[in-house]
Amino acid sequence: MFAALRRRLSGRIERWARKRQGTDSLPLQLQGRRLYILPTRAGIAFALLLFVMLVAGLNYSNSLALFLTFMLAGFMLVGMHECQRTLQGLELAQAQAADCHAGDDGLVELRFSNPARLPRRALAARTPGLADTGFELQRNGSASVQVKFHATRRGRQRLERIELSTTAPFGLFRCWTWLYLPVDAVIYPRLAGARALPAPAAGRLTQQSAASAPGEDEWAGLRPYQSGDSPRSIAWKSWARGAPLLVAQYAGSGGSDYLFSFAGLESLDLEARLSQLAAWISECARLDAACGLHLPGAEAPLGRGAAHRTALLRQLALYGEGTS
Amino acid sequence: MKLPGPERGGTLLPIAALFATAVVNAHHLAWWCLPMLTLAAAWHLRAVLRGFPQPGRVARIGFALILTVGVLLSFRTLNGLAAGATLLVAMTAAKLFEARSRRDWYVISGATLFLLLAACLDRQQLWRLPLYALCLWLSAAALRGLAGGAALPVPTLLRESARQLVYALPLAIVCFLFFPRLPGAFWAMAGDDEAITGLSEEMSPGRIARLTESDEPALRARFDGAPPPVAQRYWRGPVLHEFDGYTWRRHRGMGVGAGSPAGALEYGGPAYHYSETLEPNTHGTVVALEMSRPPEGAYVTQSADYQLLSRRPILQPHSYELTAYPLAVNREALSPEARQIDLALPPGRNPRAREFALRLRAQSADAAAFVNNVFAFLRDGGFVYTLTPQRLGRDSADELLFRTRQGFCGHYASAFVDLMREGGVPARVVTGYQGGEWNPIGGYLLVRQQDAHAWAEVWLPGRGWLRADPTAMVAPERLSRELLQFGDGLGSGPASLLGSRPWLTTTLQAWDALNAWWQDEVVGFNFARQLHLADRLGFGDRDWQTLAIALGAGMCAWLAWIAWTLRRAAHAARPDAITQAWRRIDRRLARAGLPRAPQEGVLAYCERLALTQPATAEALRPLAHRYVQLRYGPPAAPAELQGFLRAARAYR
Repeated sequence: MFAALRRRLSGRIERWARKRQGTDSLPLQLQGRRLYILPTRAGIAFALLLFVMLVAGLNYSNSLALFLTFMLAGFMLVGMHECQRTLQGLELAQAQAADCHAGDDGLVELRFSNPARLPRRALAARTPGLADTGFELQRNGSASVQVKFHATRRGRQRLERIELSTTAPFGLFRCWTWLYLPVDAVIYPRLAGARALPAPAAGRLTQQSAASAPGEDEWAGLRPYQSGDSPRSIAWKSWARGAPLLVAQYAGSGGSDYLFSFAGLESLDLEARLSQLAAWISECARLDAACGLHLPGAEAPLGRGAAHRTALLRQLALYGEGTS
Repeated sequence: MKLPGPERGGTLLPIAALFATAVVNAHHLAWWCLPMLTLAAAWHLRAVLRGFPQPGRVARIGFALILTVGVLLSFRTLNGLAAGATLLVAMTAAKLFEARSRRDWYVISGATLFLLLAACLDRQQLWRLPLYALCLWLSAAALRGLAGGAALPVPTLLRESARQLVYALPLAIVCFLFFPRLPGAFWAMAGDDEAITGLSEEMSPGRIARLTESDEPALRARFDGAPPPVAQRYWRGPVLHEFDGYTWRRHRGMGVGAGSPAGALEYGGPAYHYSETLEPNTHGTVVALEMSRPPEGAYVTQSADYQLLSRRPILQPHSYELTAYPLAVNREALSPEARQIDLALPPGRNPRAREFALRLRAQSADAAAFVNNVFAFLRDGGFVYTLTPQRLGRDSADELLFRTRQGFCGHYASAFVDLMREGGVPARVVTGYQGGEWNPIGGYLLVRQQDAHAWAEVWLPGRGWLRADPTAMVAPERLSRELLQFGDGLGSGPASLLGSRPWLTTTLQAWDALNAWWQDEVVGFNFARQLHLADRLGFGDRDWQTLAIALGAGMCAWLAWIAWTLRRAAHAARPDAITQAWRRIDRRLARAGLPRAPQEGVLAYCERLALTQPATAEALRPLAHRYVQLRYGPPAAPAELQGFLRAARAYR
């Protein structure tokens, strides 16, 4: 009963806070009116201890005991202000959510900076239902924190509330704030589907692979490095000569090319089809095979590599949601 | 949860705080407490370092039971401060064996604070204050180490908790002064008699072989005018009536609640108004200058034998406002019951004294002449005053008067009252203090435990009860011992060393004055003084509301101060000199009606300015270039920086 009451109450409080705060815009600096603070369990126990000490001191008219009690009360109150101060003025410069598959935990990267000459300790960030990620900020320092979130469903997902909290300086109080960030995560379809890869569509393929002999890699040129490229494919020699990081491209590696479509998946519902396609694309990436997509409203030519794979998965993720 | 490493504040500080707090409690803990705590702390640190297994559940419960039994064996109770503190230390030590989670460490820290409270409740001497402060500091640092997040090094925790305590100090002072105290108590503390030295409720002249020369204070008295002359400084304590041949005791009928003859004393002669701070005692008597009127409404009544009796045990130093009338007398006739009480003697004891008294009484014309004859015998009989007399046997009066002829006040008072009663003169023993040392720094009279004295009172028809001090006959110099005059040949030890070192005397007097101030103004601070303080601060009414208003105002001021001071540090630090210098230029230009937009760079601003105000832009451009160079370029030489700052200051 208490649990239910508590849930209802916290639901109300969260809705109230949501309405009160609105959506944040980046960069943002935490101000006092959005910081909430309550004693922790240890804090309540400490307050009870102080009360007992106060009663004992009053009863025996013992000046030293009373002074001790008042010192501790002051200590606790100073700690309360310090706790709130730990969040106050903190700056959130950037927030970026990495793509992930539905059902997995996604990561949102938050970049905090501390404008003050005051270290901020025992900070933690979390999204509802997941564990805290602890971090701290040195004086005038900054830090990137990766916070997990539940990726529930395929598509473009607005990040849920992020709770940023601290128990500094002594864990008797917990101060927190709720961030409602205007950040979307792209959630790929769930990786699911037991069907084997369809037959490679080698015959009707691009010019580059048709021109090369099967099994023989042909150097096709250099392109700029993109994150996700294998270090082995980086042209280290040209980099050593002072050129920017370049990646050698080969045509015809792997040999098989796949062009995926809904063909053959008619028996499944839309989400299951997309999941199967996502699984195939991942499989192609593992095999380092070129693949492309041919869906109504989502066309992608054959290609290879991490960037290409991301593009395909994004098309699947946003399928049916309009243009990305 | 991961066990915090011992090299960090995680466990080291709570253990240090617990240990320090146990040490300040050491005087009333059972002897096995500190060794056990040491063992537990060593076990814990070793367990953290080496990781050997911690005891299981059964072992822990058994251990707790053994500890409880140990406390019961040591104290025969679990009640009372000493037993409670011992139990707390023992249980907290037991907790150390199994401490793992942060919750355990909160429990240990809470117990540490409670132990500190126990020490404060038990002892409030000034010299303990630094020890208590140290314990508080360590406990605060230990709490800071429990915040969670990365462990912090011990010096950081100590530094930050010290700052936090300094911030807390003003609030503590405001609350101390204005938080309304209770005039009474809800419950009394279980007694702890052993620790209190000084007078007792009994006197056994035969058994005491040596009087303690304790220089602990017994009371301090601050007189409104001049203090009474040395010969009148008799501080009346327990009055003893019943004698069983060995021990003098109080009479039950004279205790609290027995009919008070306060009206019967004629308060005449010079009056001395004084305020007295009495150290704790076991006999419940407010030792006061003879004959003091009981203060109004202070739980003090006057008994039939003119003792001031406190209804509450005097467990803490307490202050009383009193007026003494040294010449007050009661000339009324003695009731038959009272006469019987003060003539009673154990049968068959002291035959020689009895024979001597009867002979002397027969030679004397009246009771007064008899008293004078006994005095003459004591003065001229070759009696010696010594603090280390021989022990006396069954017939203590006979042995003292006719054999050993040496003793101190208790011996002579006892023998004198014995002789008086044998001679048919009602007499009783009065214990208390005699004399006192004037402290010129504090302006008060200090009476120490070593001033403890016993004298007699005899009742003479038509004159009432009169003080008769046989020790004054034996050793007049003991009573005329002048102020500051130590080493009268009777005392030994530190007191006799002092005579030749005046600076030491002054230092000790200053220290005692400081203690007296502490005792009066801090330890003795109570509801009445709070009201007095509120009055002095100019609040109109002297009541609860006034205190509440003062408290509220003080707390609000403190909160505002704390909020302002702490929050200020949370925001961007003061910008560096370069930025400040440029902001000054910005302000100057803004005043001239040429503000720079917030997102506008200084160079862009110069370009914009050049379109409308070419002259100003020309003057500004070199500065702007230097600013950009310093701000975004490679680190510059100090001379370059200084040059820029000078130029920026000079910009008009």
